[in-house]
Amino acid sequence: MAAKLVADRGTGALRSPVSWALLGLVIQRPSYGYELVQRFERTFADALDLSSLSQIYTALDTLQRRSLIEEFTVDDESPHAVVRQPKPHYRATAEGVRHYEQWLVGQIHEERRRSRLFARQLSVLPPRTALGIVERCERACLDEARDALPATARSGRSRAAAGDARSASATASEGEAASEGASGLSDRLLCEEGRLAVEARLAWLEYARRELSALVGERAPGR
Amino acid sequence: MTLLELDNLSLRYRRGSHERVVLDGVSLQVERGELVAVWGMRRSGRSTLLRVAAGIEPPDAGVVRFAGRDLAASAGDELGGGIGYCRLAQRGSEAQTVLDELTVGQLARGVPQATSRELACAALERVGASDCTARGVHELDGSEAVRVALARALALEPALLVIDEPTKGVDLLERDNILALLRSLADERIAILMSSGEATALAGADRALSLSAGKLRGSTSPELAEVLPLRRQADG
Repeated sequence: MAAKLVADRGTGALRSPVSWALLGLVIQRPSYGYELVQRFERTFADALDLSSLSQIYTALDTLQRRSLIEEFTVDDESPHAVVRQPKPHYRATAEGVRHYEQWLVGQIHEERRRSRLFARQLSVLPPRTALGIVERCERACLDEARDALPATARSGRSRAAAGDARSASATASEGEAASEGASGLSDRLLCEEGRLAVEARLAWLEYARRELSALVGERAPGR
Repeated sequence: MTLLELDNLSLRYRRGSHERVVLDGVSLQVERGELVAVWGMRRSGRSTLLRVAAGIEPPDAGVVRFAGRDLAASAGDELGGGIGYCRLAQRGSEAQTVLDELTVGQLARGVPQATSRELACAALERVGASDCTARGVHELDGSEAVRVALARALALEPALLVIDEPTKGVDLLERDNILALLRSLADERIAILMSSGEATALAGADRALSLSAGKLRGSTSPELAEVLPLRRQADG
């Protein structure tokens, strides 16, 4: 196994969400290019759009130039080793892991910035127009909320089903159980994050409705 | 024929000179097999809406129709018959078991004791609460209380279940199982009208609406739904 660090670092902040997503996958476990394409599609299909597959390879190149990942080769001990070209694998550097963690924490500020921007943009509209926007946003939130039942809950209809799942994972091999557990946990965390975000948005929209209703002279609730 | 139809309901609460508009021209249609959830903040009137929909509380104006019949003219006999209103608060005596609680309503309707026990046990099994059968009603935790309340209503074989805040006080890890249970009941063609003060409880609903300042917003009838109802889950 031979590792090579590419010293050529890029400059400026890494902005592409695809690059950050790929870095996360490489941190999860080292992979070769095509495997990363498949894992990217499985994990981020509903969250990130790819214009083309070459975007993945471009992002890998960027991450490598910034020393956030490094390339290494795996000695193939299979009978086909003599005829197959060794696949270059990618793994995260310590700096890559550190950058990724920092970026994740920074996303909280980014979300806050987006919320502030939305509030400012809404408040410049005439109150009646803004009320209409609030109503449409609320509908979108409600639809998002009703779509947020994790697949595990949908298939396991009762406590009995949950018990079955527990005993099934106890009998499965440790590796399979860990892999399924990580995937299930990821789904549940994502689902819960979405629901809590919607919860907060709905409360804020209700507050905005009260304020805007007062501005246009409509009766506010409970007053 | 629409199973439940709320037609232009209005209701105000008055205390002295203070008046609060709870329902203001509310209309809603619920069809068989639909899970309809109403979200609202505290004091939004969501619980009142459910009581009016179940025929427990009359509106000041407007009509509630169940299977085409005006509930005001049916003297409340739809409660426990076609409409199952789930009461989560336990009012039984210390010694009362869950099985007693489920059979008493049926015995009052003239159902033979053996049949009432069979129906009660089947309903408890359906909601995943068979292990609560011999327990005291005061011994149930939040999730079990919801399951038993659902079983109590299901034992009367309703076409419509009305349930206020089914996930309130339910452990976070059990919440999704309760929502999945409601979804599965709707998939068996039982209509469900539920309310919640938490958006997290809207998951799995066919339609989610909001109630604020007496106005019900969102898709008030199935054909007005902008988003198609969620796909029903295949068995297994």
